[in-house]
Order: sequence, then structure tokens, then C-alpha cells
Amino acid sequence: MQTGSVTGQQLKEMFNAGTAWLEKCVPEINAINVFPIPDGDTGTNMLLTMHSAMEEAHRSQDGNASSVAQIIAHGALMGARGNSGVILSQFWKGFAKGLDDNQRLNSKALARALSEASQAAYEGLVNPVEGTMLTVLRDSANAAEAAAKANSRNLTKTLATAMQAARESVANTPNLLPVLREAGVVDAGGQGLYVLLEGALYYLRGENDTLKHGKPRLIPTSQPLTPGISQMPAEVEVPYGYCMNFLIEGQDLNLKKIRKNLKKKGQSLVITGNGSKLRVHIHSFKPGEVIDYATKQGVLHKIKIDNMDDEYAAFIKMQRKNLPAVDTAVVAIASGEGLFKLFRSLGTTIIVPGGQTMNPSVRELVEAVNSAPSDKVILLPNNKNIVVAASQVQSLTSKDVKVVPTRTIPQGIGALLSFNYAMSLEDNVSAMEEAMNRVKSIEITKSVRKSQINGMNIKKGEFIAVLDDKEVVANGKKVKDVITTALEKADGKNAELVSIYYGAETKPAEARKIADEIQNEFSVEVEMVQGDQPHYNYVISLE
Amino acid sequence: MVRVVTDSCSDITSKMAEQFGLTVIPLNVHFGDKVYRDNIDLNTEGFYQKLTRSKITPTTSIPSLAVFTDTLNNLAKETRDILVITLSRKFSAVYDIASKSKEAFKSKCNIEVIDSQVGIGGQLILAVSAALMARAEATLEEIANWVTSAIPRTHVLMTFDTLEYLRRGGRIGKAQAFLGTLLKVNPILGIKEGEAFPITRVRSRALAVDFLVNFVENFKKIDALVIEDAITTNELGKLAQRLEGLAPDGHFYRSKVSPVVGAHVGPHVLSVSVLEGE
Repeated sequence: MQTGSVTGQQLKEMFNAGTAWLEKCVPEINAINVFPIPDGDTGTNMLLTMHSAMEEAHRSQDGNASSVAQIIAHGALMGARGNSGVILSQFWKGFAKGLDDNQRLNSKALARALSEASQAAYEGLVNPVEGTMLTVLRDSANAAEAAAKANSRNLTKTLATAMQAARESVANTPNLLPVLREAGVVDAGGQGLYVLLEGALYYLRGENDTLKHGKPRLIPTSQPLTPGISQMPAEVEVPYGYCMNFLIEGQDLNLKKIRKNLKKKGQSLVITGNGSKLRVHIHSFKPGEVIDYATKQGVLHKIKIDNMDDEYAAFIKMQRKNLPAVDTAVVAIASGEGLFKLFRSLGTTIIVPGGQTMNPSVRELVEAVNSAPSDKVILLPNNKNIVVAASQVQSLTSKDVKVVPTRTIPQGIGALLSFNYAMSLEDNVSAMEEAMNRVKSIEITKSVRKSQINGMNIKKGEFIAVLDDKEVVANGKKVKDVITTALEKADGKNAELVSIYYGAETKPAEARKIADEIQNEFSVEVEMVQGDQPHYNYVISLE
Repeated sequence: MVRVVTDSCSDITSKMAEQFGLTVIPLNVHFGDKVYRDNIDLNTEGFYQKLTRSKITPTTSIPSLAVFTDTLNNLAKETRDILVITLSRKFSAVYDIASKSKEAFKSKCNIEVIDSQVGIGGQLILAVSAALMARAEATLEEIANWVTSAIPRTHVLMTFDTLEYLRRGGRIGKAQAFLGTLLKVNPILGIKEGEAFPITRVRSRALAVDFLVNFVENFKKIDALVIEDAITTNELGKLAQRLEGLAPDGHFYRSKVSPVVGAHVGPHVLSVSVLEGE
């Protein structure tokens, strides 16, 4: 179905539907709220703001689209709660402005309204941050503008395009905002805005069955949901203070001055409104001081103060619930930023930094095992000098610990990949040991002294290749030649896949070149991965 | 005779529907403003051709209440007992729509709606088995009880070359643990408790196929088996050869994921579904 334009009353019904649609996924949106503070109430705040906006709109029978938008904007400002609610009220303020004097909402008017809405939202914040609702709104507005140019008579199409852009933008938020990436979530406010637009679109398309019986789907993050070390329970007990929301009514309120003064009293300040009415959102450890200052400016209304520590504890609980139901945790030892990322992306619960020449102590391993959020733990030492230390851990903890004695990084990765979420601890250990033995490893490093091994005369500073952490199989001045010889000795021609993890001291361009050459010479699939490991210029696996 | 109704996410072809006396209600695929009924206006091959040519990302939607009530109305002319088996509720609201239409028919017919808690081949097995029971004159209650008891024995395994489609469509469920893997891997997922569940990851397509074969071979007794692909017919043929003889005669089905399913799994899906013997 396609619609060219709608009246003010239809505009009201569109966002009425959007609000009802939003209502269906409030708990989910609350659960993913981590920025700027995990208040865990973004969904609730957006919904209450929209409720207030729609209540106001319902009292009016005005048929004019621009008047209805203004009424919604007024209702949103009066009812705004939380960061997200305030931004949403700014959205409506801009939206109404963009509609200007339009009797009806059409394709072009929608694009203009979204563009003004985006601008107003940015202006409402003291420090706008990308990867949030703001980015989602801007991306959506840009898409709407392009769509309106192409389809100036098709409102449905323009709204659908705006919604699709919002969707993609939401999925991308973890790439822009590290705190989202670490928590493995998308931005909650952006998600809320997307759902609101989606509901409005369903109304416009006449998809009443979907609105009635369906449920909005949260856009999943493109990032892994594995908990990183930064999310470990021991580190989450940071006090967050109080989240405050209130409205100041008065005469000739000086927005600039009030903003400047409140900024000194807390964080995450959002302040919007005009000379007679200001909406304030702020996080502070001393709510008394904020209220005291505010009462001197005017009369306070709709005061809401929440303890964010309580909310954060609830958030952590919800996060746990959302993690895959895995009752086995994996603790792995690795070094290098690239390998950290890789092991984490493969589902490692805790990574203990260490490896060749930097072996972690038994105590460090025990601590890592104890802090893992599971009673069953698999340990991957990934280095032959750590295997023994790892085997001590079982006697020092009450947890059920199994060591899969991986002696190299490729063995560790092979083992980790074969981890099966549907199997028991014991079955997983045997599957991982089997997988570990299917992988051949070559480690390339520089000789630290002159020596004679395996009948080879090795000069100091030369490259040497070690196969399966047992024997030196090649040496020489040119790293490429050493790798080629080692691959031949390791029967590289019969491998299906060669993975090259290049080290911290290796230039990516050099690694790329070597990867391409190996691919040609051995006619095998080669994957190049940034390992950043110290000590080894290259670690290579053959499968 | 009891009539069995299911939705198009069961991947039951029109030929099979005719053969077993099943009624299949289509979900919809949308390319922008254009709507196609699943496996009616658009088949799997046509869908993927469109997908590669189209700049628009297709979306999917459930059948309307009207489509459901019309279908039930037609069936009500022939029977007083109808069993509806739907796609998992965690993937879609088809179950909710079906339940809604059941209320409207209270006076005319006895309607039972069951959430299959799976989809694709698993749902196919349940629906076809139910239709066979109906032919053998089983009552609505008997069939419904059997289906409910067979759900825990119904296993679905899938492999893909990318999880991107599942992620974009929001159907990734617990398998999101596999997102963001920094190596090229072939993920293997199952459907557990109604949603996608991570099983494991392997490093090549060949190993993924081996994993599926192994999975099937490990069952002591198999009552029915379904294998499916989207556009990799040759690969499916080879898989069929490797699995030959593992299911009783006449209970080894081959199908293709429907366009609606296809929109959420991508062109390189390969799946096996097993009804485990008691």
C-alpha cells in the first residue's frame, strides 16, 4: 500500500501506533541500556515521554498536521524523562518546526521534519556523542531526504527508507561507541527510535495484524556477545550516583547560565526548553545540591530521582540472562592485542595475558578460573611451558577444571573452535583434544644466539621455524624462505587451510605479500590474521 | 477426517501438500512495496534471483487474519476437526494469528493450534506425520497429543557460510554468541526451545557437511529425515547419497527452504532435520 500524504489526525494515529509498538519491547530496550550510564530505563523513559505526548495530542481534534506536531512536541517536553526522553522531546520540537505550516504530512515534509528533528536533538545536548540515538536520527533523516527527492509523492516509501536507515544505523552503533561494543549491545535509545518509526510505518501500510499480534524485534549487534574481562563481576561495583529529572518553571529563565552552573554539579546533563519552562536531566552524587540550585531558579515540577547503583545491579542481572546459556567457561592464555580479540571472538570467557617468555603464575591462573562466571572451566594454556602450571589449578579451586593441553596458539584456536555448546564438559574436552591434534603449528622467531640444531648452523639474528613446538625445521636470513621450507616440511601441499597470525613487529604489508605467495606456491587457501603477538614474527597453522 | 494445516515455513512443497492432503498457508516476502506469497507468487530460485538483482533488502510478514479465516472457512465445509502446526513462536507471530482465528471458529469447528517450536524440516516432519495419522483415521486429540510428544524428538541442524542474514532478520537468538568471529568459519546452529542455538564452528564447508552427516549417523533410530538447501542442488544431491538408507523407506524427504525462510538464512544454507525414533 502506498500513501501520498496524511492529515494531522492520521499523523497522530501513526505515532499512537508507534508508541503502542514501542510499549511491547520496553523491557528489552531497558535491558540493553548501557550509555551514558546503564540506568536500565531508556525504554521506560521513551515510552512515558511518548505517552505524555500522545495524551496531549488526543485532547485535540485539529486536522492540521503541523498543529498536531506542535501539540505532540509540547506534550513530549512536559513529559520528558531521562536522557532519551529529553532527546525525544527535542526530536518532536524539531519535527514540528520542520512541518512549518503544512496542512498535511507528505514525503517532502517528512524529510524536512526529520532533518529539523535531527538538528534539534544535537543542539539539545551539551556534548553530543556518536553511536547513539543522535546518529540513528541523523542517518535516518539523511536517508529520508534522498528518498523524498526520488519519491516526492510516496510518503510510505520515504518513511520506509528512513526506518531502514535507522535500522542499519542502530546495528552500527557498537562500532562507533566502545562501551556498547564491550557490553555486546546496540544503543538502546537508537533502538527505541527505530521501533517508534517502525510502528508508524506499519500503521501507514495498514498492517494492523502485525501491530496487534506481532512484536518488535530488537536489532542484534554485529559484535559478539561474549563477556569481556572488563565486564567481570569484580569490576562492576562502581558507584553511579543518582539520576535526576525535573522541570523548572519560572520567568526569564537563563538557559545558558543554568546549563553552565548545572554542568559543574554532575554529568550527562541534558537541558532543554525556553525562558519559562526548562526540562533538566542530570546524573549527580549530590542530588541535594542540584535541587537546591534549581529551586532558586524557579518552581520545580515532576521531580524524579533514581539510585543508579540499584538500576545497574538489575542491569547486570538482565545481561547475564541474555548471554547464551553456556555452563562451561573457557580460560585461555594468550598475548597480543590481535590474539586477545580473536580468542574473545571465539567465545573465550577470560584471557590471561602470557605466553612464550612470560608465563603466568599458577596463582594468576587460579584467580582467572575463580572469577569465571561458571563452575565448569576449560583451561587452554597455548604454550608448552604453561601446561604444567595449568594442571596445578584443579587442586587449588573448588571448581571443576579441565586442561586441554594446547602447546601452541594454533592448537588453542583449533580446540576453541570445536567447542560444542550442546555437549557436556567431558565430551567437549575430548572433542577439543582431538581438534588440537588435527592442527599443525609453525612458529617463526629470531634466533637469540649462534647455535647448531638438527645439523643446521644457525647464526644469531637469523629467522628460525619451529614445527609443532618440538623441532627447528628451517633457518635463514629471509623470512619468506624460512616459511616456505617449514611449510614443505610440514606437508603444506596437503593442507586445506593455512592461517597466518602475524606478530607485533611484523608489517601487515609484508604479511600480506607472504600470504599471497604461499597461496600461489602451495595452491592452498590462506587466511591472514592480525595477532600482534610478541616474540614470534609469525605463527602459522595448517589444517 | 482431521485436516492438517501448517504455514509455508515448513518448506512443504505444493506437490507434497497434495500428496499428504495438507493445507499450507503462505507467509509473505516484501521487496519494497511489492508483496509475494511464499512459494506461491515466488519460489526459492526466483527469490534468490531477485535478491541478487534487487537493491532493496527483502522483509517478511505473517499472513493476515483474513487469510487464515478464509482457509479455515474452506476446510470447515469438509471437516469439523482441524489441526494447525505453526513455525516456532520465537521466530514469528504466525502462532498468535492462528490462535486468534481459532477463537472466531469456536462454534463451527474443533481447532487445535500447536507451536512446533522448530521450523523448516522439523516442522515439515511434524506436519507430514500428522497428516499421515489423519489418513489413518486418528482423532484430533490423538494427533495433537502425538505432535506434542514428538516435538522434543525433532532435531534441526543448519550450516551457513554467513550469519549475516539471521542477524539482519533478528532471528539469531542465542546463536549471537557466534557473531563477530574474527576467523572465516562455517557456523553450525540448531533450533532449541524454539530459537536458534549455537552448536559449533568448523573451518570449511566440507567439514560442515561432515558434521551434519555425523549428526544424523549418531542416532540409534530415525523415524523420518529431511534434508534441505536453497540454491546448492548438487551439494544436496551428494548429501542425500551419504545419508541414504538412514531413514525408513518413504520417510526421507528432500526440500528447499522457502523464500520467507530464505530471506533469513541466505543462499548457502544446508540443513538436516531428524525425527528421532523412540
